[in-house]
Amino acid sequence: MNSGKRLLIIDDDPDFVAGVKSILETANYAVDVAYNPKDGFAALQAKPYDLLLLDIMMGRGAEGVMIARKMRKDPKLRELPVLIITGIREQIAFLFPGGPVHPRFVEVDELVEKPVEPKLLLERVSALLQAAQAKKESAA
Amino acid sequence: MGTRSKILIIDDEEVVADSCTQILQDGNCEVSAAPDGARGLRLAQEFHPDLVFVDLKMPGMSGFEVLEKLRALDPTIVAIVITGFATVSSAVESMKHGAFDFLPKPFTPDELRLITRRGLEKRALVLETMALRREKEMLREHFAAIVSHELKSPLNAVQQNLFALAVELASRLTEDQRTRLERCSSRVNDLLKLIHTWLRVMSTDIEKVRDNFIPTALPSVIAKAVEVVQPEATRKEVDIRTDIQTPLARVQGDEGTLVEAVVNILGNAVKYSRIGSPVRVTARPEEDHLVISVADTGVGISKEDLPRIFEDFYRGEPGNSAQPGSGLGLALTRRIIEVHDGSVSVESELGKGSTFTIRLPALDQPHLQTDPLAESQTGGI
Repeated sequence: MNSGKRLLIIDDDPDFVAGVKSILETANYAVDVAYNPKDGFAALQAKPYDLLLLDIMMGRGAEGVMIARKMRKDPKLRELPVLIITGIREQIAFLFPGGPVHPRFVEVDELVEKPVEPKLLLERVSALLQAAQAKKESAA
Repeated sequence: MGTRSKILIIDDEEVVADSCTQILQDGNCEVSAAPDGARGLRLAQEFHPDLVFVDLKMPGMSGFEVLEKLRALDPTIVAIVITGFATVSSAVESMKHGAFDFLPKPFTPDELRLITRRGLEKRALVLETMALRREKEMLREHFAAIVSHELKSPLNAVQQNLFALAVELASRLTEDQRTRLERCSSRVNDLLKLIHTWLRVMSTDIEKVRDNFIPTALPSVIAKAVEVVQPEATRKEVDIRTDIQTPLARVQGDEGTLVEAVVNILGNAVKYSRIGSPVRVTARPEEDHLVISVADTGVGISKEDLPRIFEDFYRGEPGNSAQPGSGLGLALTRRIIEVHDGSVSVESELGKGSTFTIRLPALDQPHLQTDPLAESQTGGI
């Protein structure tokens, strides 16, 4: 029932990605992967995706945040739902001192912590896809 | 200092200001002067001096007042007092108002140069200390983020693949293989929790939670703690029974850390309970305090271990009751409760069980509230 939905994972840890990707593929999603922010953003611009799974701590710091910022400025990408997958919550609090633990990066987003249990991962992905769909329909 | 040092002279005697400027102005120093306190302070805001000479006796604002206001403006500015009526008492008074040193009139150019050099050295020291302190604070704050990333990333990758394999192989594994896969997952999980606790202790300044203190209801704290521990309790068939006297006054505190404190104690109670035995959590007022107690009928703690269990990294004697842990949970609990001006104590007998008691100062009159426990208890069992 999930076939046709195309997801992109941007995360610099190939082993972690393998674990997430296989769970999503078992649930019949089509999954592409980018192992750094640069390739990730290029992929987002090259092909339409239904959902992005985004790591925050990549490269020399919070390069995932950079992607979220760029997406927010891009009218084509602004509405793309994002599932943020991050090492620990404290890192988020650390990057945005004084801010809420879960900052809204883009229009539709949600945060889960690594490692993420398969059931929770699939629930969140499906909820985000539905929320994005509902938003699109109400706008139309 | 790489750039030129900036010196400000506040003195109503034009001749003093002029001669000081002449003596001190060179390639290393930039000098500005003001004839009274008000103008001196205004100048200080734009000029950002390293060192300020202040005449004690001036028309308008007194030298002491100028000193106070300079300190409020920038506490790192070094101030030296100049005065015509040099007495020990006025010198002492100047120091009390934050002056670094004292220069009696009349003075020779060499005396002025000497005291200026000392003042600027002091200023360099103050700035260096501040920079070091800031760096230390930054290091500590970054430590958690950096180390946790390096330590946790590989474990996260391992765990994620164990999760995935469990799903993919679900129909193909024997019961024994499935159990071993689950054990792997649970051991990785213990390790992740351990790293988390260690980092938490090392990188957090517990005093800072005081900034977040608000009136906090204990029933909600207890409900949240029970919720965290419930899955493990369910696994061990340990029945967590709560008995909260209502209405109950609130405490001045931070809910997050209080929940953490109760989770550590309650988690231990479940961990060291025998399968099927109950853990009892009660909350009640006692004079102007509120008392939370957690009682189990588990393995208990030996007399030798009892006085040390709230110390960092204390794990007790390894015996047949050994359980995985960081040795920091209770130490962290003690710190959290102490920051809340409370105390934590324990009574225990080997083989019969332990009772931990948290005592917190009550904030206000009892609050009638809906029972938040009703919701959490249906969740886990």
